[in-house]
Amino acid sequence: MTPALEIDELTKRFGDTLAVDGIHLTVPPGSFFGLVGQNGAGKTTTLSMAVGLLRPDAGTARIFGQDVWSAPERAKTLVGVLPDGLAMPERLTGREVLTYLGLLRGLDKDVVAQRTDDLLGVLELDGADKTLVIEYSTGMRKKIGLATALLHAPRLLALDEPFEAVDPVSAATIKTILRGFVAGGGSIVLSSHVMALVEQLCDRVAVIDKGRVAAAGTLQEVRGARSLEDAFVELVGDPDDGIKELSWLSS
Amino acid sequence: MAVELTMARMKIALLRHALHGRRAQTAGTGATLGLLCAAATLYLAFTDLDLLAAAYAVWLLGWVLGPIFMGGGDETLRPEYFALLGLPPRRLAGGLLVAAFVGLAPLASLVALGGLVVAGARQGAAAALVAVPAMVLQLAVFVLLSKVAVALVGLAVRTRPGAVASGLLNGALLAGLAQIWVFLVAFEQTGVPAVVYYLPSGWGLLAVQGRWWALAALAALVVLLLAVWAALLGERSGTTRRSGRARRPMTAATANGAIVAKELRTWSRDLVRNHQLTFALAYAACFTTSPLLLGWNGMLPYTGPIFIVMAAAMSANVYGFDGTALWLTLMMPGTSDVRGRQLAWLAAHAPVAIVLAVACTAVTGGPWPLVLALTAALLGGAAGLVPWVSVHLLVPGTDPHRRAGNPLRTSEDDGGLTGLAYLMLVLVILTGAPAALTALLWGWAGVAAGVVSGAACWWWFGLLAERRLRSRGPELLDVMRTGRKPETTVTSRFDRLSRRRKTVAWYCFGFGAIPLVPQGIVAAVFVANDMLRHTWFLATYMPEGLRYPVAGGFMLLGLAMYGAGLWAVRPAATRQDAPDAASDAAARESAPDAPSEAAARQGAPDGS
Repeated sequence: MTPALEIDELTKRFGDTLAVDGIHLTVPPGSFFGLVGQNGAGKTTTLSMAVGLLRPDAGTARIFGQDVWSAPERAKTLVGVLPDGLAMPERLTGREVLTYLGLLRGLDKDVVAQRTDDLLGVLELDGADKTLVIEYSTGMRKKIGLATALLHAPRLLALDEPFEAVDPVSAATIKTILRGFVAGGGSIVLSSHVMALVEQLCDRVAVIDKGRVAAAGTLQEVRGARSLEDAFVELVGDPDDGIKELSWLSS
Repeated sequence: MAVELTMARMKIALLRHALHGRRAQTAGTGATLGLLCAAATLYLAFTDLDLLAAAYAVWLLGWVLGPIFMGGGDETLRPEYFALLGLPPRRLAGGLLVAAFVGLAPLASLVALGGLVVAGARQGAAAALVAVPAMVLQLAVFVLLSKVAVALVGLAVRTRPGAVASGLLNGALLAGLAQIWVFLVAFEQTGVPAVVYYLPSGWGLLAVQGRWWALAALAALVVLLLAVWAALLGERSGTTRRSGRARRPMTAATANGAIVAKELRTWSRDLVRNHQLTFALAYAACFTTSPLLLGWNGMLPYTGPIFIVMAAAMSANVYGFDGTALWLTLMMPGTSDVRGRQLAWLAAHAPVAIVLAVACTAVTGGPWPLVLALTAALLGGAAGLVPWVSVHLLVPGTDPHRRAGNPLRTSEDDGGLTGLAYLMLVLVILTGAPAALTALLWGWAGVAAGVVSGAACWWWFGLLAERRLRSRGPELLDVMRTGRKPETTVTSRFDRLSRRRKTVAWYCFGFGAIPLVPQGIVAAVFVANDMLRHTWFLATYMPEGLRYPVAGGFMLLGLAMYGAGLWAVRPAATRQDAPDAASDAAARESAPDAPSEAAARQGAPDGS
């Protein structure tokens, strides 16, 4: 079966820093894949290269067999992307953003209107019809970003920190949507540094450390008998001096 | 002083990190020009104190208008950085003031203000001694007036009426500066008016000349401005206002229609773009109507064309204004973002330009062919060049949702933005040249030429911009995200040139406009209108028979400089201009043993 996402030897160097060092990952179709790692481990860079937003120095990325760099038109219709912290068309309302992007995706006008209504309703953004995206809170920005990723009903979702700054109620909604998406045959790769969340959602995990894959496989394979957090700290933490405390803080 | 010194050190550290590559070069050029101006001012201190007072007035004007024009001035250290420290506003303002003294512009100004010491020394030891505190206080007044002006404008532009008003005011002021000769002639002030001594910029000189109260006045003004600035700093850390209006629904039904609808909404809703549009409008209107004071309406018909040129210069960084929203364009490779933006640019500007051109020409009764030819050619040229320049010479900006405090500040790189605007002025004017020449020679045929050249520019530059966006989109996004040019774009192509070629290109492109435009074209226009002995236009000082040859010579020199600049960068530019993955793959297949260096550098996927 063609993998939903296949990353092969992706490498990216920024100046003297090797941000991503020959990463190889395979996301099987129908899997919920978690990418975990410390800040600066290379998660965002890897995801950006995998979906065609950042040109790798070497290596390939294929979405359902379509090369992201040589066949971008086919690859990019198959994927929905939620990047972390990038701008949107800021002077549009949420509804206008979805209408605009739906039309750009070549969807029929009525289909766009229908899906926009559904997405705004489910993500509880429909009260914000008068609000421009630039006036959104961080959590609302995440939600409208997720809506743009889902709009064209892609087969793969690539989500960078989708739950950051999202309130617990919305987070529960989003989890339900994502689980439903996977149950319906879709595949998801998401990055996060919240271990509990990844443990709760994902069936496959890859631990990224210093631009390399430190461990990858099913959730059970990676965490073994421990919690994912313990396994993670063991994998990427400094083995010599463990976790330090601030002595002056506990007086 | 601890806070002040810490902030100054922070500023130094930030500047050191920011000054890399192109920005360092821009800063270097800026510093050189600033020091040249300072040297000229110092020279005046030895020769003519009236002119020195006038020069300080110009420095003051530069401090106040420069940052406003460039969108907010130096904000290396932002007040928001210290919001959580709980510093009293005056302490914060004091610290920021000390930090504001660190930089190239204050340094150049301080050198210029050294003229006070020179002027003092010519009077005696006591005056020279007074000059030292006067110098520091005068610099503080410059810096503080600049900060207060920016803060006031920053507050005003948070609302649409404020943005429009400040656009109108800035445009009018700059047009007034450009046409200063009109006012000088109108008031028959051939000498330097005494008022320059009594502007705050002249108080230092007054103090040196023995009027001690001026020193106290300077000190009092510093205290007052500091208090005002401290109060304004408190104002700016508010949140953005929410708009409560219902929006008209988007009725577009196609992809291209959607891009146009999005852009038109941005043109009407984004305060930055409101400001730019009204700025261009006010500039054009004031520039061409000010000679009416002298009873001369010869410039009036060109209001429309001048509006187009100025509006194009203001929107030269249109992709930069939208920041990382570019990722959405990259995710939809089948769509044509550039064409949509071009149409929206025309829809927002063409009606105004055409109304201005027709109405103003109707008032003067002509010259119809020339004005209509220019309007058509420039509209097309601008609509083509705006996206083209924007994708090729992108100045990375701050994402709209991260612009704190001053919403008009779209980028940290003021020098880059200004340079881009000037380049755009020159390029757009060039696209009007063929039609204008045709109209001057053959009348109405020029209008046809304008329509044809306008359409050609619109189509051709748009096509080139679209291709560039396709092939280098990820690199552009990376530039916007990191704020630095990566090693694989135009800059590095430029960097790989030999040092000598780089220097040639740098000076030719940097200074070619001076002989071509002011000393060539403008001087020829002055000579044609019998406006002789005009400020620094050399040709107007020549004896009868030499005026046109001198102006023509300068034009040739300017063209030759651009030619030499192009020659210096040409070979590298043509060799590597097909970077899309398909052609790289083809290159690899045709030469499997010698992996293409270009392909590796551009990071194309390695198919082997």
